[in-house]
Amino acid sequence: MKRVQLFLLVVLIIGTSAILLDSESQELVSKRQMNVEEMSMEDVLVMLGDDTLIHSINIMDAEKVKTGEDLVRNGSTIRNGKKTERISKHFVCTDCHNLTSEFKDISSQAPEDRLAFATANNLPFLPASTFWGIYNRTSFYNKDYEKKYVDLVIAARDSLENAVQVCAKYCSSGRYLEDWELESIMHYYKSLELKIKDLDLPEPILKSIRMYGQLQPTEKSELISTIKESYVHGYDATFLETMRKDERMYGKDGDAKKGEEIYEKSCLHCHGGSRVTYMNLSKSKLDAKLFWKNRKNYSDYSLYQIIRHGTFAKTGRQQYMPLFTEEKMSDTQLNDLMAYIKQLAGK
Amino acid sequence: MKLKTLALLLATTLSTTSFGQDVQETFSGTRILNGHSTETLKANILQFRIEHRFGDLAGANGGINNFFGFDQAADIRFAFEYGITDQLMIGLGRNKGTGDPYSGLLDGFVKYRVLTQNAEKKIPLNVAIIASSTLTYAKAFEDQTLNVIQNYPEFAHRMAYSTQINISRKFGERLSVALMPTYVHRNYVRADDVNGVFALGTAVRFRLSKQYGLIGEYYPTFSKEGFRSEFSNSLSFGFEWITNGHDFKIVLTNSRGFTESQFIPYTFSRWIDEDEVTGKNVVGQFRLGFSIARDFKL
Repeated sequence: MKRVQLFLLVVLIIGTSAILLDSESQELVSKRQMNVEEMSMEDVLVMLGDDTLIHSINIMDAEKVKTGEDLVRNGSTIRNGKKTERISKHFVCTDCHNLTSEFKDISSQAPEDRLAFATANNLPFLPASTFWGIYNRTSFYNKDYEKKYVDLVIAARDSLENAVQVCAKYCSSGRYLEDWELESIMHYYKSLELKIKDLDLPEPILKSIRMYGQLQPTEKSELISTIKESYVHGYDATFLETMRKDERMYGKDGDAKKGEEIYEKSCLHCHGGSRVTYMNLSKSKLDAKLFWKNRKNYSDYSLYQIIRHGTFAKTGRQQYMPLFTEEKMSDTQLNDLMAYIKQLAGK
Repeated sequence: MKLKTLALLLATTLSTTSFGQDVQETFSGTRILNGHSTETLKANILQFRIEHRFGDLAGANGGINNFFGFDQAADIRFAFEYGITDQLMIGLGRNKGTGDPYSGLLDGFVKYRVLTQNAEKKIPLNVAIIASSTLTYAKAFEDQTLNVIQNYPEFAHRMAYSTQINISRKFGERLSVALMPTYVHRNYVRADDVNGVFALGTAVRFRLSKQYGLIGEYYPTFSKEGFRSEFSNSLSFGFEWITNGHDFKIVLTNSRGFTESQFIPYTFSRWIDEDEVTGKNVVGQFRLGFSIARDFKL
């Protein structure tokens, strides 16, 4: 009997021990703190009741991330002790895509903002959009890419996986990815997904996210909308025609300093030391004179032509130059580039 | 200890040629005109070359009768060359051969670029080392009494080798010069010839523009007094046209053949020579040639 009483006494003490704790400690154990800034944006949106992404990955696999990064940076990886077949002989992803943020304000698409950020952070200024945050995008090969890839864009526009396949096969003049390659790249994209802290949301919004449990369904919907307005879901792509001769400024009133940045961060990214292409360029007077001499032409040696149209992959010559859309290089920036070319050519 | 030193030297060499503000295009392409340049193919690039030397442009064997040499082919070379790394390349070619003495000639070479000119790293020169060899597979002459080498008594007699240290420097954007000490060894030579010939090649290139340039190349040879008196030295001038992926060169040269074992020891023709009939000096024993190279990424 005594044993039973003793047992009940112990249970009573343990059960009521919480009231013995001081109030500060009680506060800590009674509220779950959410570090929302570090949370993935996808998790927060789903937590608020949004639909999951069609390419959603629940558990990120570190090994697949590493393999995916290898494929993105080098075009191949080591698998079962052997180097795998390259995705493309001609390009790797990083020839055209950055892997970090490209804007101070990630809701911007302005090429001027992009160049300013590239200059401040020593990034290349490339013809394609960054892979950073691509996991959270829902629209690809937008707008005028239909002109270039026609029916291929249909299946790629709302599917990141299909978009990656079109890029691997056609944009990089390579081949379709095998399942394990695609999966690895998707895991790598997951590692580059947007976090709440990347959105630069005001404190009241962050507070609302922390208290999401107390929100009404309408408030949750509004919060989802607010978050979704903070980043770009699909980068626009406006193809411009080669500028007419009578509209060209040939660098007049252009900013040669910005032009030099573009020459370094765009042109020389691939052409410097013939890194990607056979056409070798450097910050040399002879190179500048070639472009200056052809400034009034509609040939591939005219920057007005080649930047807007690029070249095309063809049989026996799969290497080509991608075009720069208006969003990736504005006409003003093209004029800045010409101002630098003029200066470098000593004209 | 020696191994360690060698490994350190190799690592230093490899590292100095892989990054930084390396000078580009000291010469366009892997050849200056007849001989090599310090340039190598980039890794995984396969180059297909077609090279041609026509007959005499003028003189007794030239002129309108053979359409200024176009009706004849002094030598033709087809070759595949490949960049193993950005500094190391190999090549395998087949030459028609000038017939004097070699015909049906296979050539192979290895080129390693040791240094690349780089102001930042205070490397003033480009340096490449080239080792090449040739093998003629032509049917041997049966008459062993003639004072010619084409009877090839031994298989080894069909082979010749050359070793070259190719040194170049680019001055500014337009001017490049090269110095190319070369040693050519032929296993079998005529009685009045010497097996080993040393040549001190020199070349200069002046770029007229991004796409066009002028080139001169001279390979004076040195050998013992009294030998090789009938030979002359290869002197060539060229015009180059560089487009994206193509490197096209038009050459005027007094040498007839390709590869070091032909154009260095076996140049007989002279730009200006005495006419056998009139006894006057005439200009004519030189020819047009061209090289076209096409690159493929593997």
